[in-house]
Amino acid sequence: MEAFVLFTNQTQGRDRLFRAAQYACMLLGHVLEHQAGPGAARAALRQLEASMSSGRKLFRLGNMVHAMVAARQTIQLPDLVPRICLTASNLIRALYFICDTVLWLKSVGLLPHIYKWKWRNWATKCYYYSLLMNLTRDLYEISWLLEQAAEKEKAKENSFPSDTQDQDLICLETERQSQPFLPLLYCTLKKHPPLLLDTTKNLCDLSSPLDRLGIYKTNPGIIGLCGLLSSLVGILTIAKPHLKLK
Amino acid sequence: MEAWVRFSAQSAAKERVFRAAQYACTLLGYTMQKNGASAELLARIKQLEAHMSLGRKLFRLGNSAEALEAAKRAIHLSDMVLRFCITVAHLNRAMYFACDNILWAGKTGLVPHADQEKWSQRSFRYYLFALIMNLSRDAYEIRLLMEREASGKRPKGTENGHQAQVDNGLQHLALRLRIQLRLLGHVLRSNPPLLLDLVKNACDIFIPLDKLGLYKTSPGFVGLCGLTSSILSILTIVHPWLKLKP
Repeated sequence: MEAFVLFTNQTQGRDRLFRAAQYACMLLGHVLEHQAGPGAARAALRQLEASMSSGRKLFRLGNMVHAMVAARQTIQLPDLVPRICLTASNLIRALYFICDTVLWLKSVGLLPHIYKWKWRNWATKCYYYSLLMNLTRDLYEISWLLEQAAEKEKAKENSFPSDTQDQDLICLETERQSQPFLPLLYCTLKKHPPLLLDTTKNLCDLSSPLDRLGIYKTNPGIIGLCGLLSSLVGILTIAKPHLKLK
Repeated sequence: MEAWVRFSAQSAAKERVFRAAQYACTLLGYTMQKNGASAELLARIKQLEAHMSLGRKLFRLGNSAEALEAAKRAIHLSDMVLRFCITVAHLNRAMYFACDNILWAGKTGLVPHADQEKWSQRSFRYYLFALIMNLSRDAYEIRLLMEREASGKRPKGTENGHQAQVDNGLQHLALRLRIQLRLLGHVLRSNPPLLLDLVKNACDIFIPLDKLGLYKTSPGFVGLCGLTSSILSILTIVHPWLKLKP
């Protein structure tokens, strides 16, 4: 219970829990959609999901400051590509939070005359571009690690051609003759859990804006499942900070 | 900006900000009503207040665990009176949060047949008991400190010097009262955490007293008390030395 209390003492921890619950409701609602029977459970799930979404919007107020501070920190990164990608991502995220605040003001009745669909569209686009920036950074890190792994293999090959003690080499050697890329990628990601988790989270998060913008339409079930997965990854990185990609 | 990020990273801190905003809405609504504002504006303020209340209820899910953990820690205190007051206060708070969770479930439609009025009254009753325990603890601490101060001053013979001038029983009583009040003022001035806790609990107690009908005031007064106690809470989070320990 103490671990739960420590986890929920952080705003982000609590928000991730509610996000996971919100997407679980979406997934469950979709699963029950195709089942016959009274719609009371489905209606309750929809109401619960709406309530969690609205509550989370309230507690997100002020997060644009978080994004600006994060941008200020990432602009000092030594590597050029992560610096550009992460700073751009944080600035776009700040814009997303501004749109989110305007949508909240509309939902509460303080700004009744704004066009909800227009601001929602902008918010979704900001979220989408921010995710693309994060994925670009992830791809850069992966390609850099793959390059390093390939160089290490070449160096080891030149000095100890028959050394099969190294786990890397067992991975690389066995697959070098056939299709090297996917298993190489798997080996690389296995050794870097933070990068794997971050890539998975960003890929899962993409499903919702892709659907909303009409680029790749799916169904609420897939969006719910992806959202739930990314929230669980988020919970893991907060509970175990060493798993967060720096 | 970094200070806001650090502050709002704690869920309790962010919740206090919204509590302050909620009671500010109550106060504003009452003031505007007295000044003859339009029904539409009043409705909007009421809607904002209700939205914040529901959002806070969602965010407070799981606070029972935190209150139980605090009770578990308080049970190991050495002083018997403090141990009793603080543990019982936390247990009452845990019950208050449990009732609050049921109210949230009722409002979001998960438990549609919950008697909102009954559970609301129950939750305020637990809240009132918790505040009474907190105030008892404050009174006990004040009494201890006053006794310590008084026993420290007695050897100087100030009281004997005054007593020589008294010739009337009532005057004697008034003089003793003045001395006690001066002592109380001195004790509170030299113990800001205790003063802050006392004022906070005194402000908070008017809320359940009004809602339970035990001592009806006005929505404006309740709003002012709630706003004051929320600001004092925020102060103790920003400056942890101001928080009364244990």
